[in-house]
Amino acid sequence: MRFRLRVLLLFVSLVAAALGVMLFVVNRSAEREAVAEIERRFAGATDTFGQLVARQNDQAAAFASLLAADYAFKRAFADTDAITLESNLRSLLLRADAHAIAVVMPDGATRAAVRRDGRRVSEGLFSPLVARADELEADRAEGCVWLDDELHEFVLVPLLAPELVAWVGLGRRIDTDLAADLSQRSGLEVVFGRVNPPRVLGSTLAPALAEAFAARPRDDTTPSLGGERFLVAAIDLPDLARAGASAHVLASLDARLAPTRRLQARLLLAGGLLLAGALGAAVLFARSLSRPVQALAAHTRRIAAGDYAARLDLRRRDELGELASAFNAMSAGLAERDRVRDLLDKNVSPEVAARLLRDGHALGGEEREVTVLFCDLRGFTTLSEGLAPPELVTLLNRYLDRMSAAVEEAGGIIDKYIGDEIMALFGAPVAAADSADRAVRAALAMRAALAGLNRELAAEGRPPLGFGVGINTARVVAGNIGSHRRLNYSVIGDGVNLAARLQTLTRREDYAADVILSESTRAALVSEFPLRDLGEVVVKGKTRAVRIHALG
Amino acid sequence: MSPRRLLALFLAGLLALPALRAAEHTLTLADSRGRPVADAVVSLHPLDQPAPPAAQPAPEITIAQRDSEFVPLVTAVRVGTAVRFPNEDKIQHQVYSLSAAKRFEVPLHSGATAPAIALDQPGVVAVGCNIHDWMRSFVVVLDTPWFAISGRDGVARVSAPPGRYRREIWHFRLAAPLVTEITLTDDDAATEAVSLTLRRDRHPARREPGADATYP
Ligand SMILES: [Cu+2]
Repeated sequence: MRFRLRVLLLFVSLVAAALGVMLFVVNRSAEREAVAEIERRFAGATDTFGQLVARQNDQAAAFASLLAADYAFKRAFADTDAITLESNLRSLLLRADAHAIAVVMPDGATRAAVRRDGRRVSEGLFSPLVARADELEADRAEGCVWLDDELHEFVLVPLLAPELVAWVGLGRRIDTDLAADLSQRSGLEVVFGRVNPPRVLGSTLAPALAEAFAARPRDDTTPSLGGERFLVAAIDLPDLARAGASAHVLASLDARLAPTRRLQARLLLAGGLLLAGALGAAVLFARSLSRPVQALAAHTRRIAAGDYAARLDLRRRDELGELASAFNAMSAGLAERDRVRDLLDKNVSPEVAARLLRDGHALGGEEREVTVLFCDLRGFTTLSEGLAPPELVTLLNRYLDRMSAAVEEAGGIIDKYIGDEIMALFGAPVAAADSADRAVRAALAMRAALAGLNRELAAEGRPPLGFGVGINTARVVAGNIGSHRRLNYSVIGDGVNLAARLQTLTRREDYAADVILSESTRAALVSEFPLRDLGEVVVKGKTRAVRIHALG
Repeated sequence: MSPRRLLALFLAGLLALPALRAAEHTLTLADSRGRPVADAVVSLHPLDQPAPPAAQPAPEITIAQRDSEFVPLVTAVRVGTAVRFPNEDKIQHQVYSLSAAKRFEVPLHSGATAPAIALDQPGVVAVGCNIHDWMRSFVVVLDTPWFAISGRDGVARVSAPPGRYRREIWHFRLAAPLVTEITLTDDDAATEAVSLTLRRDRHPARREPGADATYP
């Protein structure tokens, strides 16, 4: 997976997780709160309803008691026939806040009963109420009575003349009005229902919801009505229970959670914006990380390809900036190493290499006394006749190998090969007091090495090789010489040219010398060597004569 | 006097003999908790012969209104008895009965000016006052001369000739009269204990002056 993608995923999942946890916690605690609040209301609902019904019954009883104490009504009760009494009751009902009025004999038989809507009242409905009042010796008879399919809460008080001759009282319908009244007091939805068969008697719910409620399983306390979640509690009213009816209070959990839902929607919106912001920030951050990393990678590939000159410029102050600086330093280091390798190519001794690596820039230029040796190969043209190029190079390298080994053993360095010519330095880059001795010893060793090579060539059936060596000791300028891209440690000066000229002098037959050294070299020698004075000579390009010597 | 008439006289004497003899029926009335029940009316209705005719002219009783109460609370009379309601209070009372045995109304009155009311039907006449709900009196109108009202000790004694009777025990707190068939004999001296199941007295209690208007 790409680094950028990983950073993105990390950001997004962190924000999303924080959001999810927050929403979950809000949701959970809000639901708990809502359920607790609803249950608090449920707990109070039974009392509220009990008080409401008791107050209504008290009012009905007060009205009935006034009626029962009215002498005219007593006389009407005693004197008139049932039809006249009913007519009287109908007129009385207009004055009462009730749905029905009844006069019941002490044995429970209905003497007369009237409903506000004018419907007939069946016989024998009140006897359970009267029987219960007798049994309990209660001041009044009360309870629920079915008038057709409507349930009424009736309150009957004794009609005394002066002893109990009848019960008289009022009934209030258990209906939607009562449900609304209770709902207003309790802050809950209210449903009255018949238990068997289930039927709604009155409800503050929309009719469709009320029907759904009536049809729900009896023990379902958290029904879903019309897609809304409700909590339900039964109101314990003995009058209702005795009549086979029930009262329930409900509260919509969803309605109570609505403010929380709005809050959650806002949180979700804010969270979405946050997520988008985080996404943007993550993209920017990932890009700010991955771009320099990609640049570093590209840079590394260039370095691997050998381009040490390339420089990385991230313009950053952070760790990546430091990394870029380190890369640049590494490139510089590698470039330096490359330069130094030029010097090392000259097969300097380890201490020389160490010094070169350490003081690379100090080799910029210094004047010092060195001994320069030039060695030119003779007879190679003859030898190379009829040889293929690879064999030719092999043979040349074989010769150069031996010569170089002789130079290095004597403490010199190979300055350069110029075709089959060798230029060697003694006393540079590391100064040596015996540079002349070293050069002479090198010449002797080279002569011996050439003899050995010639023996091998003879054995191979090849013609022998010869060389001419010129040695001069002089003060020269030493340093890294070349272009910025390629530097070579070398020396320049008249002394160098003289050494080259001395080498060419070995071709002169009259000298009969293969190694010629100058007077300055002879003068610098510490040890004794067999030398033959060749007199003075004015070399080409010089005006002053120099004394030269042949190595015996 | 012919022998036939003598025989007739003798037979008449024989027939009259039980009427001359009397058995005493004693009842002890108690409620379900064993407390004596006063003001219960015990009456014996003969099953084998007609009750003797009532006295002529009709006797008269009084139920006084004294200190806004009817006195006495319970009265038992034979059919045909007349009742007066003299008012001994300074305030007026309006006496009424809505009972089936006798419907009447005595308008607001003072003193003994109210006319007598003849009780010509058997049954219980519950008398009330239209002005004072707590005032009440019961007149049990009977078709028999053999009855008694239990005293504070719950004892009621009825003297009647030996024979079979329907015994009725009435009390205003009984849901219905307690009816039993009994046979009285000469040497019946036993006391019968009867337990009565009394209902709650639903009558409004009289409030004392001062406590009258104390509504909490
Ligand atoms: Cu009165």
